Amino acid sequence: MSVLRLENVSKDYSTGGRSVPALENISLELAEGEFVTVVGRSGCGKSTLLHLAGAMDLPTSGRVWIDGVTTSGLDDPGLVRLRREAVGHIFQSFELLPTLSVAENVELPLLLAGRSGARARALECLAWVELAELAARMPHQLSGGQMQRVAIARALVHTPKLLLADEPTGNLDTVTSNVILLLLRRISRERATSILMATHSLELIAAADRSIHLRDGRIEPLGTR
Amino acid sequence: MPFLRFCRAFLLRPLAKEPVRAGLTALAVALGVAVVLAIELAGRAAAGSFHASLETLVGKNDLEITALGGVPESLYAQLSSLPYPLHLTARMEDFAVVKPGGEVVPLVGLDLVAQAFDREDASPAQETSATPLARSPSPAEWNASVWVGPGLARAPGEMLRLQVNDSEADYRVAGVFPGNSDAPQFRRAVVMDIGLAQRLLRRAGRIDRILVRLPAGQDAAKFQALLSREFPGLLVDRSGARTNENRKMLAAFRWNLRLLSYIALIVGAFLIYNTISVSVVRRRREIGVLRALGATRAQVLFAFLAEASLFGLVGALAGIPLARVMAAAAVRMLGSTVESLYVSSAPEPVALTPGTIALGLLAGLVVALLSALLPALEAARVAPVEAMERGGREYQAGVRKGRDAAVAVLLCVAALAASLAPPIGTTPVFGYLAALLMIAAAALAMPAIVAGAMAASGILMRRSGLGGLEALLASRSLAASLRRSGVLTAALATAVAMMASVGIMVSSFRRTVEDWMNQQLPADLYLSPAVPPAADRHPTLDPDVAAIVARVPGVSAVGEFRAYSTSYKGLPVTLGVSDLSIVARTGRLNFLSGDRREILSQLAGNDAAVVSEPFANKHRVRPGDSIELPLGDRTVPFRVLGVFYDYGSEAGLILVDRAALQRYLPVGPPSNLGVLLAPGADPEEARRSIVRALEGRRVAIFLNRELRAQAIRIFDRTFAITYALEAVAILVAVVGIAGALLAVVIDRRRELGLLRFLGASQPQVRRLIVFEAALLGLLASLAGLAQGILLSLILIYVVNKQSFGWTVQFHWPLALLAAGLSGVYLATLLAAVYPARAAARLVPIEVIHEE
Repeated sequence: MSVLRLENVSKDYSTGGRSVPALENISLELAEGEFVTVVGRSGCGKSTLLHLAGAMDLPTSGRVWIDGVTTSGLDDPGLVRLRREAVGHIFQSFELLPTLSVAENVELPLLLAGRSGARARALECLAWVELAELAARMPHQLSGGQMQRVAIARALVHTPKLLLADEPTGNLDTVTSNVILLLLRRISRERATSILMATHSLELIAAADRSIHLRDGRIEPLGTR
Repeated sequence: MPFLRFCRAFLLRPLAKEPVRAGLTALAVALGVAVVLAIELAGRAAAGSFHASLETLVGKNDLEITALGGVPESLYAQLSSLPYPLHLTARMEDFAVVKPGGEVVPLVGLDLVAQAFDREDASPAQETSATPLARSPSPAEWNASVWVGPGLARAPGEMLRLQVNDSEADYRVAGVFPGNSDAPQFRRAVVMDIGLAQRLLRRAGRIDRILVRLPAGQDAAKFQALLSREFPGLLVDRSGARTNENRKMLAAFRWNLRLLSYIALIVGAFLIYNTISVSVVRRRREIGVLRALGATRAQVLFAFLAEASLFGLVGALAGIPLARVMAAAAVRMLGSTVESLYVSSAPEPVALTPGTIALGLLAGLVVALLSALLPALEAARVAPVEAMERGGREYQAGVRKGRDAAVAVLLCVAALAASLAPPIGTTPVFGYLAALLMIAAAALAMPAIVAGAMAASGILMRRSGLGGLEALLASRSLAASLRRSGVLTAALATAVAMMASVGIMVSSFRRTVEDWMNQQLPADLYLSPAVPPAADRHPTLDPDVAAIVARVPGVSAVGEFRAYSTSYKGLPVTLGVSDLSIVARTGRLNFLSGDRREILSQLAGNDAAVVSEPFANKHRVRPGDSIELPLGDRTVPFRVLGVFYDYGSEAGLILVDRAALQRYLPVGPPSNLGVLLAPGADPEEARRSIVRALEGRRVAIFLNRELRAQAIRIFDRTFAITYALEAVAILVAVVGIAGALLAVVIDRRRELGLLRFLGASQPQVRRLIVFEAALLGLLASLAGLAQGILLSLILIYVVNKQSFGWTVQFHWPLALLAAGLSGVYLATLLAAVYPARAAARLVPIEVIHEE
């Protein structure tokens, strides 16, 4: 069973009373542990695709299955439940809460879901990204790379089947980007977590199992421009 | 103008994007301005009318002569025969009750014969403005006729039923005198012949007031001194002196109300400060860019001051009409208070004058500019490079909290010192200063308090899981934005402190008065003429009432009490005359010092007096001092034997023995009777018997408990307005909190969106905002309560004592405080409902991609 399946998915946005297509007729499948990158110019629909794949939004037409559950017809509590169980997010700007410590940031998804043993699990994930010793620090005391590793630990803390990453190395230097890249590879291989990642980075594209190219909301075969 | 265009682009457009928040800030200012203006307008309308009372019915005169118990007619004759060119007008003055309806109207007795003669050489202008009568009466009309003002709406020939003291009768309206716009009460006055008035008022042979007009160019001060010297028993005052006396009396009352009303404006000021601070923090980067593009510091400063001015102006413009509505309600409350505690008056219509409108605009603008000055200066100091760094602002607020807390401690010490300083005159200037310093200290200490409390609550929540994740996030968020949370907590805490302090003060006062009444009202029944009570009206009973009541079965003793309104050293005072041997036997008069029995035994029959605490404090009189009372044709020194607790009159009470006063004045019929019943007699039955015995007379008979209940009703009515003021201050704070929470939602939308990405549900986001309000409300309530307790000590032991002279025993109104705090807390939670809904409705995928 695929972790993520999109079937003829389209998404329109309404701007000034006019319907603007963001995605058109997208079909896509991610197997367990598969690492897929989404490439394309700004505004091509990468983020929209990630939002639909993360149960943050619903398609205008077509259907999305996450871990076998279709998002269509789910109300907000249903979508929240699905996100809590199956999806982890990594952002370009790390998005750590400045008022919480590193460990508190990492355990946040578990606490929001009301799960027990959050702290132990958070420390385990921090150890996995090799930042256990920074658990008590505040985000502003970390470097950019450390912050993104903390964000990765947070995305993994509830053992999601699907990890969605939006330009995770966009704010990092090359050396740090490579560290993040290795970490993401480990995630897909060692933890069998599927990764769908929007990126412009050639290194990340090269490291992925496959890449899809989005242009004006449609998937184009690689090599066509 | 380029600057205005800059302001429009830089300030107005962002404000227009958040109309609810901007509207709430303007509403807070509007409420603050409205309440200040309403109290000013209502105070003027309720108190302003007294100057238009009896004395304005006299026209233009230079001097007025009065005496305790009235000027003997013999002295009037002597005055008339003096070899000076004085024009004298004799008058009786009191109040009558129009039946049915019960309206109390001024009653004036004039020498109509003299008036008729005067008129022959008076000009038409004098006829309409200087004297009330437009038509000379015929002597036959004098004994059963009255002339009325146009306000009473009676036509000549109609009958008018009037109650004077405890007697009721019908009078024929002989004429209507013209109205006088300078004296609204004049329009509702009743005029009768002086002889008839003397008979009705049972003051035969006495004149209440003699008005003296001097020839043009004569020095009034010279004649005042001359007459005072020649007639030592008479009080010779400049015309209008009574108005000034009453003004002085009312000044403290109005000042206290005014200051209470300013609290709402101070709370509004906190909120403007918060709004501008938020503006500065949000636009720090923009300010940096503007500075980099060539904006001067002054331009940035004026831009933010212009934003504040806009709030001040819009708030004031909305507040002015609101004040008009609020004043109409307030004047009803104040009018009855003025009547009960100070002077007979009828409220004037509330009038919005250009002066009051200017006051409202000025209050709004000044408060807005002052409260915005610090954040605006801070904005002006922003360096272009610094503005590009995120989070720098909150860091500054954090590091300053220690210094601010230290300044707060210094302000507390200054407040303590100010509270120990004596008043200036009878105005507790330093008491007010102590209260303001205390409020400022609390505001400065608030960031440190919030930081400490949130750190502690964070640990508690973390360990106990209390409130869940949302509570923990809320507590961290408040601690991380000390500038904002400190100001909001300070604003709400100030309103809570006002509520708590005034609540403690009023209920302490109420309890003290209740205890005092329990001790001071020993009689089983009390009788007085059935007219509405007022502090300066002492209508009398028929002289034979006491004897009739004494014969009623079950009555063991009847004590007579006669009250006179007079003045002492330029301030009004009541002189009470009673048989103090009865008081010594039955009363429980409590003295500040000395042995009660010994003091009362020395009073009997001697030229000695005991004075109430407010009188002693106002006039700095202590036991052993001597006070001079003008009696009859001389001034008599009375030795003060003691100072007693009394909460019946702010003006003060001098109590002398009936036998002593009778040596100088014929003490007329009593104002009140106290009836002691024989052991086992049923008070209700006794009352029925007395009512039967006094049939046909307009006498009010109260059981002891009824009298106490009536006094407490007057008390509660008096302080009702303070509760209304508190409610407005709380409302201002709650409106501010709603606006500030909206700002929190707007500023933290990215964070709230992130939480939704991480699995937060909409109810969790809603709860997060509600928890912030809950924590803020809890902290503000606790801090406000602590601050309120300290403020109540200042109010009770400094402001109240110095303003009014009363000793008030501290009392904890636990139920009231619990109810008040619960109400505030609930209101704070309600204020969070809309912002919480707005937070839950944020679209996470939109806000997470915003820059």
